[in-house]
Amino acid sequence: MSELEKARREIATVLQQPGLRPDPSVKLTRRTFIHRSCVLGAATVAETFAWWPLINTIDVAHAAEAPFKFAWISDTHLYTRSLNTRFVDKTVRAAKEVQAMNPPADFLIFGGDLAQLGKVEELDLGVELLKEVKIRKVYIPGEHDWYLDMGKKWGELFGQPYWSFDHKGVRFIGLDTVSRAPDYWSMKKMSPEERMAHMSVLDGTVAGPWAGVGRDQLDWLQKTLSTWDKAKPVIIFSHNPLYEYYAPWNFWVRDWRDVNEVLKPYTKVTNIHGHVHQVLYNEIGTMRSIGMLATSWPWPYAPEGVPKLAKPMIRVDPGDPFDGVGWSALGVNAKDTVDNEYIMWGRKEVFAQSDADSSLSQPEILRGRIADNLWPY
Amino acid sequence: MTKQTLQTNLYRAAALGTVALIAFVVGPALAHKTPVTPQQLKAYDDAFMEEVKKGDLLFHGDDAIAKKMGVTLSTTGMACAMCHPMTADTHPHSYPKFQAQMGKFATLRDMINWCIEKPNQGEKIDSDSEAMKALETYIYWSNSGSVLVPGKY
Repeated sequence: MSELEKARREIATVLQQPGLRPDPSVKLTRRTFIHRSCVLGAATVAETFAWWPLINTIDVAHAAEAPFKFAWISDTHLYTRSLNTRFVDKTVRAAKEVQAMNPPADFLIFGGDLAQLGKVEELDLGVELLKEVKIRKVYIPGEHDWYLDMGKKWGELFGQPYWSFDHKGVRFIGLDTVSRAPDYWSMKKMSPEERMAHMSVLDGTVAGPWAGVGRDQLDWLQKTLSTWDKAKPVIIFSHNPLYEYYAPWNFWVRDWRDVNEVLKPYTKVTNIHGHVHQVLYNEIGTMRSIGMLATSWPWPYAPEGVPKLAKPMIRVDPGDPFDGVGWSALGVNAKDTVDNEYIMWGRKEVFAQSDADSSLSQPEILRGRIADNLWPY
Repeated sequence: MTKQTLQTNLYRAAALGTVALIAFVVGPALAHKTPVTPQQLKAYDDAFMEEVKKGDLLFHGDDAIAKKMGVTLSTTGMACAMCHPMTADTHPHSYPKFQAQMGKFATLRDMINWCIEKPNQGEKIDSDSEAMKALETYIYWSNSGSVLVPGKY
């Protein structure tokens, strides 16, 4: 049995016990969003969002208490402007659309990987582009933001990488799942650029299992949650998923067991994460987990471990830079329902409508790369 | 024996001698005639893995090897592996097939070039070039366990 298979069996035994499901009062719906430009061609952003109320919006009947919306953008992976303008264009589009939300979002969460290679110019460019969004903005880091200068610039721009705040009856928590990689660079005397280069390759074999929450942050999480009613909603933002989906791509946190221990007593936990660049949904114990789209490029589903509960997204057209990517408009209503609306540009349907419409219909058995461990070639 | 016959026989003997000499010299290369040796197997495997490694580096956007091989696979900072980690979703086992993006029947090499030119905005490479062979080798090697389904969408 492979290590991966062992880990998978363990997670099934520990977390997916029969009868254990998230609290039924926490409903999570996922809907598609018909972009007006698909129907009528070019339209201004404001006009586009005028359509919103017509399309399956959140259930306003339950909105009496304090319903609200918030927005997620992540994984913009900005290069310097001179190298790649497509990623800039897509970030600008997402920012404009978030700002134009009607009703407006209360805040924007940026879920990490603002930069591609962690450069000062890339992070500064990200800040400049997100100035378009005038509402409150909160940030968590991605590995691409971090490993050139070990989070120095990111910290200067955005402050503490993990935090919490309460908003209209929900405790929001931002986690840093990227900064605690085991040191793979000192022994090999890597330059910061080399360290970043290994970290920036999803299927690289050198950076290893870098995603984790860490004991110190888990203690903080436990303390933060201890003042919160166990039956009240908690929404946790993280760059990586908080369960084990596919460890070779760090589609996990390595200390998921400990995370689960801390979260277990809380019955309405929703984890919203980036990093996977794909439509994803899972239930782990009492926690629900939703994967977010990137604005930069979509990633294929991992060759194994795709959660059974995940309804696969459409198969992306590689010829269209705006396909398979976008952002999310989320809402919480008085019944503690968390709504997630994937805004995937240029797509009427976000979810695969048939087998052929999904890349999962093409089974593949893959093996990991080798050349990065043989450097210098 | 006439002079002409003698000449013909001499030519024959010379030709036979030449063939024998060639057979003697290149004999060891005609491995199928003798059982394959472990050394030969290793040499064949090394030759293959050398291509896999080159392809792996090209696929992951290694500048040094791209320069050495004289190719520009991308001008956007993007590398093949950014959309295809571990070559996921390249589906080499589904080629040849009708490729919707191109609107024509295509091979894996055609699709590699399409990706270089369109999403990566790089420079198309010769379909028989060393770089193409290396990319193709790496993609096939990565998909060693995938089952052939030529023509599948």
